[in-house]
Amino acid sequence: MDNFEELKELWHTADTATLPQAGEVQRMAQKFRNERLRKKILLILTAVILMGVMVMVVINYHSKMLSTRIGELCTIAACMLLAGTNLRSLKRFVNFSDCSNKEFIAFLEHTRMNQLRYYKRTQVIGMFLASAGLVLYAYEFVSHHSATIIITVYGFIVIWILFLWLYIRPRNFKKQTNKLNNMLNTLHHISNQIENEE
Amino acid sequence: MPGFEEIYNTYAPQVFRVCMGYVNDRELAKDMVQDTFISVWKNLHSFRNESAISTWIFRIATNICLRAIEKDEREKNVRLLASFPTADYDKGQDEKLSKLYTCIAALEEMERIIISLLLEDLPYLEIAAIVGINEPNLRVKVHRIKQKLATKMKAYGQF
Repeated sequence: MDNFEELKELWHTADTATLPQAGEVQRMAQKFRNERLRKKILLILTAVILMGVMVMVVINYHSKMLSTRIGELCTIAACMLLAGTNLRSLKRFVNFSDCSNKEFIAFLEHTRMNQLRYYKRTQVIGMFLASAGLVLYAYEFVSHHSATIIITVYGFIVIWILFLWLYIRPRNFKKQTNKLNNMLNTLHHISNQIENEE
Repeated sequence: MPGFEEIYNTYAPQVFRVCMGYVNDRELAKDMVQDTFISVWKNLHSFRNESAISTWIFRIATNICLRAIEKDEREKNVRLLASFPTADYDKGQDEKLSKLYTCIAALEEMERIIISLLLEDLPYLEIAAIVGINEPNLRVKVHRIKQKLATKMKAYGQF
């Protein structure tokens, strides 16, 4: 292109006067950091608190049935899984600024693959543990009551679990996996643009 | 090491132009400038001078551009603007500059980034470090991108 210098001149005529001041960006930086981290930390804290409560229950409440103990362990394991997975994803908020476009696209592809694995495997394990924990843990408390109460309580539990497994999860799974697969296709396309001719 | 304000005043206009080259939308480009300097502000203390500060800042900025594909609304906007070359601009915007942005928006993602950095007058070595490829490979890409851009500009009767 013979007139690339002309293009450069033209390029530099862009109006940049309306950009915010440095101080304004600094104030936004403080707000932005807190807001993004708050949600994730809150989720981890909730999981840890719930896990702590369950551990206290195990220590202080001496259950007579093995099913209750297994239920408690399943719930603790589900909380650990939730806290652990979110702690790992916190890494996304840690400084990953000094990398080339090629490394960044590879990082995004890797992260999205991990997320896909989370929806396909980790989430299923977590939901299974939580569901099993609820079913087993509740038994000792209702077992002393009449058959009507047992059927009513377990009826509600089963309806809730079925709603979770047959409606909420498939709906979210489809939505999230479609989004992630589309993202991965685009990332792969960009990655090819970088790799091309190397 | 210069302070944040000095860095911002020096590089914000450059980053804005590069982001405009990528998204072809003033408001989105301004958001990206903010995101870039929020990241610069947060990580300035850990910058260890292993690369030039401009390389570091443009890496952050171009990675934020690439990340726009992860944000639904932005993705739609970027694709929409890239596929409709008659996008609206501010009234006072120079027509030639608008056409240049439109032609760049019609290029592939990495082509948009490379040509924007080149128009910003960054040396080849620095652009190669930002993108993550070697210099000879970059030169081949630049040659092709320039040809593509020239064809598009000619189609608009610009050059």
